[in-house]
Amino acid sequence: MTFILLRLTFYLAAFLVAASINFALPRLMPGDPIDIMLSQAEGRISPEVRDRMAETFGFVDKPLYQEYLTYLASVLTWDLGISIKFYPLPVAEVLGRALPWTVFLAGTAALLAFILGSWLGINAAWRRGSRFDAFISPAALTLQSIPAVVVALILLFVFGVTLRWLPTGYAYAPALDPALDFTFVGSALYHAVMPLTTLILTSFGAYLITMRNNMVGQLGEDHVMMATAKGLGDRQVRYRYAARNALLPSITAFALTLGHVLGGSLVTEVVFNYPGLGNLLYLGVIARDYPLIQGQLLIMTLAILAANLIVDLIYVLLDPRLRRG
Amino acid sequence: MAEILRAFLRNRKAAVGLAIVIFYVVVALAAPLITAHDPNKRVARPHQPPSIETVMGSTRMGRDVYTQLVWGSRTSLAVGFLAGLIVTALGTLIGVTSGYFGGKVDEILNFATNIVLVIPQLPLLLVLAAFIGEAGPLVIAIIIGLTSWGWGARVTRAQTLSLRQREFIEASRALGEPAWRMILVELLPNLLSIISLNFIGSVIYTIITEATLEFLGLGDPLAVSWGTMLYNAQITAAITVGAWWEVLAPCAAIATIGIGLSLINFGIDEVSNPRVRTLRAAGAA
Repeated sequence: MTFILLRLTFYLAAFLVAASINFALPRLMPGDPIDIMLSQAEGRISPEVRDRMAETFGFVDKPLYQEYLTYLASVLTWDLGISIKFYPLPVAEVLGRALPWTVFLAGTAALLAFILGSWLGINAAWRRGSRFDAFISPAALTLQSIPAVVVALILLFVFGVTLRWLPTGYAYAPALDPALDFTFVGSALYHAVMPLTTLILTSFGAYLITMRNNMVGQLGEDHVMMATAKGLGDRQVRYRYAARNALLPSITAFALTLGHVLGGSLVTEVVFNYPGLGNLLYLGVIARDYPLIQGQLLIMTLAILAANLIVDLIYVLLDPRLRRG
Repeated sequence: MAEILRAFLRNRKAAVGLAIVIFYVVVALAAPLITAHDPNKRVARPHQPPSIETVMGSTRMGRDVYTQLVWGSRTSLAVGFLAGLIVTALGTLIGVTSGYFGGKVDEILNFATNIVLVIPQLPLLLVLAAFIGEAGPLVIAIIIGLTSWGWGARVTRAQTLSLRQREFIEASRALGEPAWRMILVELLPNLLSIISLNFIGSVIYTIITEATLEFLGLGDPLAVSWGTMLYNAQITAAITVGAWWEVLAPCAAIATIGIGLSLINFGIDEVSNPRVRTLRAAGAA
């Protein structure tokens, strides 16, 4: 319990840092911050809306610490102002619509990449020095050093534009309405093939390398030798003795690389015009929609923190030492 | 030292990687010699496929893809190495300080490192770049450098902590060596492989991230770099009209330099950590 409480305090601190960056940035820019924030909205928003926005972002005629508290209060009540690009929708609502798509895309990709990478890593380490190992380990590292934008553009060109096997954009066929039926889910999956492939290709390598190196370390341990010596089957030693222990550091690595998946998902969404947070951030950046951009940083930080919390909980389940106290 | 270097070069992955990186460095340095004109000059009709005059084709604006690629390598490499240096310097400084001094210093620095690690990098960079406006390559290098040291600091700290327990460190502490000498003479040489892994990794990360930021339109559109080439290709719908050369050239360049650098990293890892070697290397040892 203490462990989880400590982690929660840490996540709260991390979130406050993200909010403080948002608070500080417009104030560090030359010129009137509220003018900068709303520069693209000239003539489109009424004075009342402008005043309300000013208050949301803490531009009140008070000392700086009160401005900060005003801003924190709006953030904590999830009042992120009004989007300029999607005027008059509030930022929170615009983000809420895009969030499920990114959670689906980045979440599925992270999970599949973790499973694929760890499984390949276990087997590369098990057959250390085999041809499989000599090929897959450098290959994984190599793939990892190719940016998502490059993989996405190449996939788009080959399978989308030239071969026309897969749709080149959006999350589902434009004629469909979102619903939980086979046609819609099928269409959504079909549209997710290329973005998912891009994300998995660019992220499974890190898991493979971590898992391989942990596993190589485990294979030299006494308990693994003991398991082999008492005549346990190959698979049982590999998965139940070696891999099980090697998995713990891998899970930490998983939490750390989630941010990477989110970053990769950002560009991938832009290339495939996928209606998630990444694409929204891109549209916001082009339109210099600062309230939207700032809201993005907060929601993406929250997403990473939530994912980290889940990893922490899994860790508590897997490592009995953390359950004491 | 010379022995380490020889072992490093005998590693086939490291040698291939080094060759790729040196190739790009030479291309970047020789840019004025191997290209005929300014990279932003219009020299051909729009979207000409590769031919004798334009070996890699031309862009929508009639610019020569080859010339842009060669000049672009200057920007991409310079940004990569500069940010790599900043990241490594910060990461090493923070990691070593935190690991060596321990106590309150460690608590504070480690806390800061953990925070930097959980705030999503790319969205943060987008926010910074959006407020800065059209960020030139130098600004991009600096903001990447200042925001990406978390991983390096964490790894360096862990290694410093484990080194601090070793006997030779205990011995020199017992001899009363001052802290600066302990860090510079006893610790840093033993951290060399971690520091170089961190440096190369950061260069890869920066080249990728710079290209991504510019692709998203946050760079200075007049700068010539691989990222702005991708950006221009994207906004002129090069892929949809079938001008594959305009997209393929920068993609291939970014991918190969990334592969080259990561091969070097693989080599460093294998030379410094015999346990992860694959058969060829293990057999040779």
